Amino acid sequence: MASNEKNPMTNFNLYKYYISFNHDVQLSYKGPIDEHILSVISKYIEVILRKNPIASRKIFKIFIELAQNISYYSAEKNILTNDKEIGSGTIVLGELDEFYTFTTGNMVRDKDIIPIIEKCEYINSLDRDALRKYKREQRKKPSGPKGGAHIGLIQVALTSANPLDVEITSIDDEFSFFSIAVKVLKEI
Amino acid sequence: MKDIIIKGSRDSYIIPSVNFNYRNGICELSGESFLEETAKFYSPLLEWIREYTTKVQKPIVFIFKLTYFNTSTSKCILDFLHILKKYEDNGGDVVVNWHYYEDDVDMQDDIEDYIIDTGIKINLFILD
Repeated sequence: MASNEKNPMTNFNLYKYYISFNHDVQLSYKGPIDEHILSVISKYIEVILRKNPIASRKIFKIFIELAQNISYYSAEKNILTNDKEIGSGTIVLGELDEFYTFTTGNMVRDKDIIPIIEKCEYINSLDRDALRKYKREQRKKPSGPKGGAHIGLIQVALTSANPLDVEITSIDDEFSFFSIAVKVLKEI
Repeated sequence: MKDIIIKGSRDSYIIPSVNFNYRNGICELSGESFLEETAKFYSPLLEWIREYTTKVQKPIVFIFKLTYFNTSTSKCILDFLHILKKYEDNGGDVVVNWHYYEDDVDMQDDIEDYIIDTGIKINLFILD
């Protein structure tokens, strides 16, 4: 690299990045999410939550569905082994006094935002029985191209027993950052 | 017909244990289920149950001991139950038993949803 060219990474301070996470963050990951990452993080979730097996089981279920959504649907792709495209995103597990928070985020194309938001708002408008009914209706539909059951987000809301906290941050004309946070109470 | 025996494993994905026995009609699905290609794994199992209920036509006892399954798997479980219900409606002798952890309220909801969806009777047992 020529000396008059500025390396963009020199503006990146790892310590500032590190302390931007407060002590509530138990785990964070940014990068491609393939089956190996899924496996390692799910085992780690079990380890750090072993004092609370019910919450641990819930966080694990939520993690699998949300992480798989990133892997399949993130607009940011990485090519790993076998030339297979893998979606990239971010995962954060936080712990507060009364509950755990599980947050995932990934890039989405602007044109895909409205259906996601509408789906989340609809899920949040339903009580538990109505949500279960909605899940049963959606599950009867034919599988999607990835073999999914179209009920990942519904299951996440049912498992967490709390609303889906969704946020969209516009990046440019083509992409936005989509984040979804859910709570799991420690005492269930 | 041949028995299907698959030993469950947990590597990157989680494969459930399968033991389908055509001589005594006892079919067990246990462990956890999170697979790369869910339909590809379950298609031969569903085909086996279809063949058993249409050709062998002897009593069948289906035992679920799944402690975790993802949403793609939940669809395949529904397919099993539909086949079993159809067999029962046609005069087949069907028993469905489901073993679950007592503290797993979400699993109880899942089982109840399957009963609502298919109309099949599911006997509940607590896992140790």
